[in-house]
Amino acid sequence: MFKLFKKDLILFFHDQRSVILTFLLPVILITLFAFAYGSIGAYDGRSEPVKLLVSDLDQTRSSKEIIHKIDSLEDIRIIVSDSIKSKELVIKGKYACALIIYKGFQDSLEAGRATQIELVYDRSREMEIGILQQNLISTLMSSTGKIIVRKSIEEYLQDQFPDIDKSTSDNILRTAIKDENNKIAIKWTSIVGEKNDTKLGLIQAVAGTAILMLLFSVAGVGTSILEEKENGTINRLLYSPLKGSTILYSKMLFAFFISILQLTAMFLFAWLIFNMDLSVNIPGLILMILATSFAVSSLGIFLAAIAKTRQQAQNLSTIIILIMSAIGGSMIPLFIMPAILQKIALLSVNYWGIQGFYDIFWRTLPLEAFLPKILILIGIGIVMTLASVQLFKKRIMKL
Amino acid sequence: MIQVRSVSKSFGNIEAVKNVSFTIDKGKIFGILGPNGAGKSTIVNILNTLVKPDKGDVIIDGVNIKDDGVTIKLIMGVVPQEIALYEELSAYENLMFWGGLYNIPKPVLNTIVNNTLEIVDLSNRKNDRIRTFSGGMKRRINIACSLLHNPKILVLDEPTVGVDPQNRNHIFEVIERLNNEGMTIIYTTHYMEEAERFCDKIAIIDVGRIIAQGTLKELRKISEVKDLITIKLADSSNEIISRITSANPLFKFDNTSGTLKVECSSISRDISIIINHIQNSGGIIERIYTQGTNLESIYLKLTGKELRD
Repeated sequence: MFKLFKKDLILFFHDQRSVILTFLLPVILITLFAFAYGSIGAYDGRSEPVKLLVSDLDQTRSSKEIIHKIDSLEDIRIIVSDSIKSKELVIKGKYACALIIYKGFQDSLEAGRATQIELVYDRSREMEIGILQQNLISTLMSSTGKIIVRKSIEEYLQDQFPDIDKSTSDNILRTAIKDENNKIAIKWTSIVGEKNDTKLGLIQAVAGTAILMLLFSVAGVGTSILEEKENGTINRLLYSPLKGSTILYSKMLFAFFISILQLTAMFLFAWLIFNMDLSVNIPGLILMILATSFAVSSLGIFLAAIAKTRQQAQNLSTIIILIMSAIGGSMIPLFIMPAILQKIALLSVNYWGIQGFYDIFWRTLPLEAFLPKILILIGIGIVMTLASVQLFKKRIMKL
Repeated sequence: MIQVRSVSKSFGNIEAVKNVSFTIDKGKIFGILGPNGAGKSTIVNILNTLVKPDKGDVIIDGVNIKDDGVTIKLIMGVVPQEIALYEELSAYENLMFWGGLYNIPKPVLNTIVNNTLEIVDLSNRKNDRIRTFSGGMKRRINIACSLLHNPKILVLDEPTVGVDPQNRNHIFEVIERLNNEGMTIIYTTHYMEEAERFCDKIAIIDVGRIIAQGTLKELRKISEVKDLITIKLADSSNEIISRITSANPLFKFDNTSGTLKVECSSISRDISIIINHIQNSGGIIERIYTQGTNLESIYLKLTGKELRD
């Protein structure tokens, strides 16, 4: 078996296309996805500040105070512009939104009327709008709310106690609208992914892409069995004292080895280039790599086993791998998918692999917590291997 | 050396081999001649234990293939019809790999590989990848791969398909050399001239059944095919033709070609008698064509079909 394995290894490294597909392409994709998903789950909990165009037509103390407060927020960066240009820039897609404070804003506030303020935005940039919505509402509510409450109390005091002196009135107002008194004390604490420096987006990029590319690589190994059948080398192997099962197991061993090599290379790449901390759970990582490699390589061989010709195997593998990777979270992070797709994802090998790597790098769980995922991957591998052996005995080894 | 007794094999409803029997003596070349799909490759796969016969027995070098398949594989080398090589490996790497499957120690195998490359005259290309080889060179390496474990029997399944005449001759030389060294050879082909050239005995197979077997001489006798002499006369007048044919009914006149045709057992023995008869009958010979019995005519006579590429 070792001789066959060695031969496949030499053939693999002789074939530049295979090497590129196995190592270089995943590395490029991981890099692209790492940048694309880079801000998701960043260590400090924040992404790049959202740029907000602000046009202050009111130019009053209240409007300036609000702009100052918004500017002090870490998630938002203010860019001052005029109202017409701001709208143009949003329409052209240069910015996600613009805040326009119309003339009469302060007067309206003091008169207790509807405020003269408008947020114009590009609906397609939901993520940035979401961040703004969260920050702007709280800021505007606290600022304008304070003015409105102050005005109401002042009017009430004037009405009920016309003789009240100014210092007493100011004391009452200060006490009534004191910030600390109005705050609801909710403490926000992120408890997942805080113990390590690895971003969730990077884990998604590495695990998702690596498993996707792994499936393509091992499907190629599986297809090579059909290629060998077609060009007669399988028959020639059978003319030697080798057993048919030895030939098949050597292919499986080779697919398993390439999978381990590829996954390891991808994580080492992420460590070298993106500083991904691999030391969080080394035994867990090794076990996950082995289990994922076993499941994926068995699946790749199985895909070849159910096909009758090499061409059929290639087409079938491409379709199944793409569908499985799409629903399994290799292409799109699972947490942004609808609930129904998240349930369907359980059927894919990608899901169990990616979630296992999340457990290691993001949730930093101990081995026993993600052991069930490892066992499921091993289970998938065993089932696929047994099915492949039967199918190959029936179809490939039969002369 | 090889005894095949009443072997049959079916694949589903298709009877690929029907009640086939033959014997091959040690050191002889046995040809299996038949068109594509006749069952030649199935017989080869039965001999090499890859296909189990439904009926019958095969004894090779005293071993029944049902009892000890591994021994059979060790004493037999098979050159498949396809060029079953790894194109991305060099000739040397291919030979080392295929030879390595027989557990030959590496230093010994290395020597054998170099010697075998000499035999097939490709030592100068040993480090080149197979994909850079011509079809004929690939065929020679294809044969070389089957010689590494020094088999007692070599089975060549259509080894010259698609090979140019120069490489074909090279392959013939290799086969003759191996046979001269004592190797028993089974040679399947659908080329008549190849079977005629090497084979001590030939089995003619058609739709899974051996319809005749023996030496070329025996096959000629079985088929009752005779040599043919065709004579073109300077004057083919009715009077002269009538005089020749009435005196000897073996002479037949072919109106289409305007020639006299005579079937005989031996051209060399009978030609002078035929010439004398024509001259004595007043005929003047313009041209004589001779056509000896060959496998083509025997096959045609036995099967009613022509054997084509």
